[in-house]
Amino acid sequence: MNERSRAEEHLRVIRSLMERATIYRAISAPTALLGGLLALATSGTIWLIDRGHAASGAPAFDARHFAEIWLLNLAIVLTVNAFFLRQEAVKANRILLSPGARLTIRAIAPCLLIPAATTIWFFRNAEPIDEEIMVAVWIMFYGLCLLATALFAPRSLVILGWAFLLSGLIYVFWPKSFVADPRGMGPNLAMGATFGLYHLIYAIAIWAKAKTSASEVLAPE
Amino acid sequence: MPDFDKLDKAIHEKGRLAIMTLLASRVNWSFQDLKSELRMSDGNLITHLRTLHKLGLVAVTKEVRDRPQTTYALTIKGRTAFTEYLKVLEEIVKAGKA
Repeated sequence: MNERSRAEEHLRVIRSLMERATIYRAISAPTALLGGLLALATSGTIWLIDRGHAASGAPAFDARHFAEIWLLNLAIVLTVNAFFLRQEAVKANRILLSPGARLTIRAIAPCLLIPAATTIWFFRNAEPIDEEIMVAVWIMFYGLCLLATALFAPRSLVILGWAFLLSGLIYVFWPKSFVADPRGMGPNLAMGATFGLYHLIYAIAIWAKAKTSASEVLAPE
Repeated sequence: MPDFDKLDKAIHEKGRLAIMTLLASRVNWSFQDLKSELRMSDGNLITHLRTLHKLGLVAVTKEVRDRPQTTYALTIKGRTAFTEYLKVLEEIVKAGKA
């Protein structure tokens, strides 16, 4: 075997080992905490404002405004997540678009197309926008995005993905006759419960796991 | 022509190269995870890790969670050495193709 073949063989081994070993957490704990709190605050605020408008009969927010508020929420959380992931990358002395990050983007991109297309379609063609379908699509496809990273994501993120997917399905098939919802607050509560509560639980769970009682770093000799 | 002598001999050894590669892929690894991923014996793995630690390429952290656990991570020197090693390998491959 000449030097070139040996070098190629070494590179092949390195690539295969790295692919097998990569674990990438696409959502950091601080982002989950902040995103969860923001979603709960948004959901609560919408609910409170709507209650104030109860006398007028019409909902305080139409479906278009409701969607815009949650899309703004998404933009804030994505920015915050990018900031925290960059901080982690700097701390670990690696680039932001690490192989793990690129792998994640490649894995979730197909799952993002449907909710993005559905949202754009609703904004352009549907009047009024069907909040229930839109929210169900957001919740289920967010779950699918997380599950698409299952091969290299930590277990907690996979559990979160399943929680979103199953909740979305339950939301779709839940018989509307079970609970009276004259103000149409179902979609708002579903957003608060999933994007708010689930992210909070996830953040608390991974922080609790990371907590160590003692640690001693041995300097290289 | 690439300089073959530039290849870091400490990393070039098969077992140590596998260890360095795994350590480069995550922030840190426990001894048990390294052992099960590489399927090395305890003695073999400890010897390689000790060599890398002595060279300043690998940092060792002893933690107490539910039970005592030792984790390993690349030092800045180790990450730089690994990146340099990969560059030289790529140069060798490119030179062979030319």
